[in-house]
Amino acid sequence: MRSIVEATVTLFDAEAASIALYESALDQLVFAVAAGEQGQGVIGLAIAPDQGIAGYVFTTGQALALSEVERDARFGRGAAEATGYVPRSIVAVPLIDEQGTMGVLEVLDKRSSATFSLRDIELAGVFARQATVAIRASRVERDTVTLLRTSLASLAGSDDQATVERVVQLATADLDGDDDDRLWAIVDRVARLRQADPGELELLAEILEVVARRAERRAEQRRRSGRARAAR
Amino acid sequence: MSDEALPAWSEPFVAERRMDLERQRPLGDLDRAPLFDGADGAGVTVAIIDSGVERDHPAVGGRLIRSVVIELGEDDDEPTVRPDPEALDVVGHGTACAGIIHALAPAADLISVRVLGPDNRGKGAIFAAGLEWAIGEGATVVNLSLSSRSEAMFPIFHDLADRAYFANCLLVSAANNVQGASYPSLFAAVVSVAAHDVADPWTWFYNPAPPVEFGAYGVDVEVAWKGGGRVVATGNSFAAPHIAGLAALIRSRHPAATPFEVKTILAATANRPG
Repeated sequence: MRSIVEATVTLFDAEAASIALYESALDQLVFAVAAGEQGQGVIGLAIAPDQGIAGYVFTTGQALALSEVERDARFGRGAAEATGYVPRSIVAVPLIDEQGTMGVLEVLDKRSSATFSLRDIELAGVFARQATVAIRASRVERDTVTLLRTSLASLAGSDDQATVERVVQLATADLDGDDDDRLWAIVDRVARLRQADPGELELLAEILEVVARRAERRAEQRRRSGRARAAR
Repeated sequence: MSDEALPAWSEPFVAERRMDLERQRPLGDLDRAPLFDGADGAGVTVAIIDSGVERDHPAVGGRLIRSVVIELGEDDDEPTVRPDPEALDVVGHGTACAGIIHALAPAADLISVRVLGPDNRGKGAIFAAGLEWAIGEGATVVNLSLSSRSEAMFPIFHDLADRAYFANCLLVSAANNVQGASYPSLFAAVVSVAAHDVADPWTWFYNPAPPVEFGAYGVDVEVAWKGGGRVVATGNSFAAPHIAGLAALIRSRHPAATPFEVKTILAATANRPG
């Protein structure tokens, strides 16, 4: 989820991007991850699920983009001031799958433009979908581990917790998926791209470019730290 | 229909794709003048199902005649309708829609139906109850700049869309900005709207390939917002009220026009693509 938010900031060249997740126990939207120079202050911020732009997008499932009219910024001010950063423009898209809405992805202040376009909304939607899949998978994993541990513990009784833990670890070791699974997932998607139109292919190229840039940057960082170690 | 199979709804209306909308029009090019000239929305009631409408916002022009809020009852079962005498907008979005409609149809009466529930449970039910109430109150045009993606709500909204159509009530609904199915915006009885980027409320396009049939101004629109303010907004949410405003004009000039005829007039008077 963190890498998706970081990729979002890079692609939009934005000041910040963040994900707020709905916590049903609190009945609040809680900002769970953020990236970008101005993003960190928002983590942990909780807002009512029907308030402000994030609340509207969460409640209605309707994505939107807003920017201030000169000298008259009214949106999201309360929450924004709590984070120490008041944005000039914002795009917010819901994290939705067939099981419902789980939160909102927000991108603040694209550096190259004063407003977000429809294409930006669409692009943010692509990232939101990836985040939704990742979050749902991690929730399923967490729930599976919890369920397995609870069931086994109740079967085994309280005196054999170490065995229960070993069985849980063995049984859930593959939940993260291995490289083969990932490779096949990519192959599957590439095959389905035969039906993509030029606009979709352009979008894909942009996303691949972001990932490639990140990979290059990381490789460069690794080379530098390798050289630094060799010099010592 | 899987999400992957669906295009972004605004795609047919972007400048480089619009020429694909060109076609032989069965009614030719209808002249807008006899259909719109002199119309101001008088006698038409437009319900705005949204985050509320700020009654005193200058952009609403004092035309908000009624304001209600839909809430879940004590046991979270049946949604209830209660008056909202303060006429609050908890976000600003509903006021934005009201301002767009009022700018086009200044004499139309506006009703606000606030459907953003205080929690996540039953929000589809709250939205449906708001729509049902607006139809029952005799609204002639209903603006829905929101929709539900819940499969469970499909039959309920489908029934309400039919009921509105037979009750001579025109539903104008924003297509969801993010790809995928959403209700009631994709039903045939509804006027479904996505955004184009021509900065003109009087420019709209007809797309003969459903489900999203109309494109209206929805990119960088200066709109009214919470607290008497204004913001610049982008989204299909802001395209739908432009079509709702135009529909209010047609219904005020031609009170006998049915939803089907209003939709036909909007298609036959749409701008030529380009």
